[in-house]
Amino acid sequence: MGLTSESLEKSLLQGEPGWLRERRQTALAAYERLPLPAKTDEEWRRTDVSRFNPADFSQLEHLDGLKLERPAGLPAGVILQPLRMAAMEHPELIEPRLFTLVHGDRDRFAALHAAFFTGGTFLYVPDGVEIDEPILGQHFSHHDGTSVLPHTLIVAGRGARFNYLDEYIADNESETGHRSGSTEIFLGEGSQVGYVAVQKWGRNVWHFADQRAELQKDSTLRLFNVTLGGKFSKTRVEASLAGEGSNAELKAIYFASADQFFDFHTLQDHRVGNTRSDLLFKGALQDVSRTVYAGLIRIAKHAARSDAYQANRNLVLSDKAKATSIPMLEIDNNDVRCTHGATVGPVDPEHLFYLRSRGIPESTAKRMLIQGFFGDVLDRIPFEHARKLVEAELESRIG
Amino acid sequence: MADFEIRDLRASVEGRQILKGVSLSISKGEVHAVMGPNGSGKSTLSHTLMGHPGYTVDGGVVTFKGQNVLELEPDERARLGMFLAFQYPVVVPGISMTNFLRTALNAKRGYDGKDKSKQIAPKEFRSMLKDELDVLHMDDSFLPRYINDGFSGGEKKRAEILQMAMLRPEIAILDETDSGLDIDSIKFVAEAVNRMRGPDLGVLIITHYTRILEFIKPDFVHVLVDGKFVLSGGAEIADRLEKTGYSEWVTEEEPKEVA
Repeated sequence: MGLTSESLEKSLLQGEPGWLRERRQTALAAYERLPLPAKTDEEWRRTDVSRFNPADFSQLEHLDGLKLERPAGLPAGVILQPLRMAAMEHPELIEPRLFTLVHGDRDRFAALHAAFFTGGTFLYVPDGVEIDEPILGQHFSHHDGTSVLPHTLIVAGRGARFNYLDEYIADNESETGHRSGSTEIFLGEGSQVGYVAVQKWGRNVWHFADQRAELQKDSTLRLFNVTLGGKFSKTRVEASLAGEGSNAELKAIYFASADQFFDFHTLQDHRVGNTRSDLLFKGALQDVSRTVYAGLIRIAKHAARSDAYQANRNLVLSDKAKATSIPMLEIDNNDVRCTHGATVGPVDPEHLFYLRSRGIPESTAKRMLIQGFFGDVLDRIPFEHARKLVEAELESRIG
Repeated sequence: MADFEIRDLRASVEGRQILKGVSLSISKGEVHAVMGPNGSGKSTLSHTLMGHPGYTVDGGVVTFKGQNVLELEPDERARLGMFLAFQYPVVVPGISMTNFLRTALNAKRGYDGKDKSKQIAPKEFRSMLKDELDVLHMDDSFLPRYINDGFSGGEKKRAEILQMAMLRPEIAILDETDSGLDIDSIKFVAEAVNRMRGPDLGVLIITHYTRILEFIKPDFVHVLVDGKFVLSGGAEIADRLEKTGYSEWVTEEEPKEVA
C-alpha cells in the first residue's frame, strides 16, 4: 500500500464528511505535485530531507491513537474529542478552520500531513468559559516503520481561559517511521491559552510539525514547545498577531544528542499595531548532534507600537556538535520596539570552576549547569503538570 | 612539616611567568596574610592553589594531607579540605544558592547520587544554614535566588563566607575578600571567620590593603612582590605597610579601591 488516492480512500475517507474528503484529496494532489524542497530554498538549505521517503512508512497507525484526559466537571459547552469524530459531529466549528492556519500546500510534508492525518484532538472552549485543570492529550506510536500523523485543532472563544498539553509518546525508543504533530490554535478576543507540546518520539523517526496560532484582540498565548525525540525533527512555530493588544509568548527547549538533527523555524507575525511577542528558544547539544534555528520577526506597515523580542540560545556540550542560529527581521514600521539575539557557546569554564571549587565533581557540575541553562525558560511553562513532566524528561536525558 | 606546605611554587598565565618561587608553610590554627601590590601575583597564587585551568604550574609542590594537591582536580582539592573565597564570585544563572550549597555539602560527604545515607538530612541542612546566616547577618531570601545573581558586592562576599562556614574547610584562602565591602560587611565577614578560627582551620588571607587585618588578626604576614616573597614576619609588618605602602619595593600609584 502506498500513499495514494486508493489507500486514502480505503483507510481514511470511509465515513468522513464530503468537505473533509475533498480537503484530504486536495492535499494529496499537492503532495504529488510538490517537489522535494530544493537546497537553494533558504528554509531547507541546512536541512537534508533527501533520504526521507514517506512511502517507506505508508502504513498508517491507529486512526484514533489518542488518549484524552478529560478533566472531571468540564463546563457545559466544552467540546473535547478526537478530531475525526468532531469533524463529523461539529462540522460547523471545524470546516471553516481546519488547515486554514497550517496550510496543506506549504510543502510536500505539510501536504502529506494534511492528506493523511490520523487521530489528533479537537478542543473547543466557548465564550467566557474558564478551565482551571489542564487538558491533556497523549498521542502514542506503537509500531515500527509506520506513519503517525496527529493534528490538533483548538478554538478558544471570547474570554475563554485554559491550558492544553500535547504529548507525543513512543512505545519504543528506537522506532523508525514518519511522525508529525501539528497544531492550529484560534484565540478569540480576550482569551488566554496555555499550550505545551512535548515531542518524545523514538530516536530514528522523521518528524515534521507545524504549530500556528492566530490571536484576536487582547488575547494571550503562552506556547511552549519541547523537542527531544526523532533522528530528524523539523518544527515550525508561528504566531499571527491579528488583533490589537494581543500577546504571544513563544518558548521552547530542545536537547539533542547522538546524531539527532533538529530544525526550528519561527515566525512572529505582527499584522496589527499594539501587539507583543516574546520568543525564547533554548537548546543544548551533545555528541555529534546538529540544530538549526531560523526565526523571523515581521512587522507590517501599519503595525505601529508593536513590541517584539526574539532570542535563541544554544549550549554546545561537545566539539562535534553544531548549532546554527539565524535571526531575521522584516520591519515596515518605525514606531516599534524590536530586539533579537542569538548565542552559541560551550559551558562557561568560569562557572564550571566555581562549582568544582566547592567540591562538586565535574560531571555533576556540568549537569547542574545544563539544568541551570534551561532554568529560566522552564519557569515559563504555563502550568504545573507540564512543568513537572518536562523537568523529569530533561533530567533523565541529561543523566 | 606544616599541615599545608607550599614549596617553590612557580606558575604562569598565558605563557607569562607570574609566580617565581613561592614557599609558605601553614599549620592549622594559624592565620597568614599575603599582601602585595597590584600585579605581584596574588590572584595567581590563589587560583593556582585551587587549580584554575587558566593557570599553568611550572614547578613546585603543594602538600596537604600527604598529597601533592597540584596533581588533583579542583573538586578533589575542595573535598580534601581546601576552600577559596573568590575575589570576584561568579554569577551562575539557573542554579539556586540552596541547590548549590546542598550539592556541595553532599559532595563533601561523599554522596554521589547513589548512597542516600550519605546525603545531608533536610532538617540538618536547614538548621546549619540558619545558624550561619545569622552570624553573617543575612536573611534567607537570597537562598532561592540564582548563585550570586543580582547580589550586591557585600552580599556576594558574605555568600562566599557562608559557603566556607557550611563546608568547614581545613585550609581557607580568602582572596581580596575585603575589596568592595562596606565596613558593616567587613565586620560581619570578619566575625564569621573569627568564629571559625581554631585548631582545625588554617587561613590564608590575600589582600592589597591592611583594612581586613584590623578585624582578622594575622599571625604571620608575607609581602609578595613580583612573584616572590620579599618579607615575612608577624602582624607588625601589616602596620608598617599601612604607613608606607609598597613603596619600599615598587613605585606605584595608589590605585582606588575597586568597588
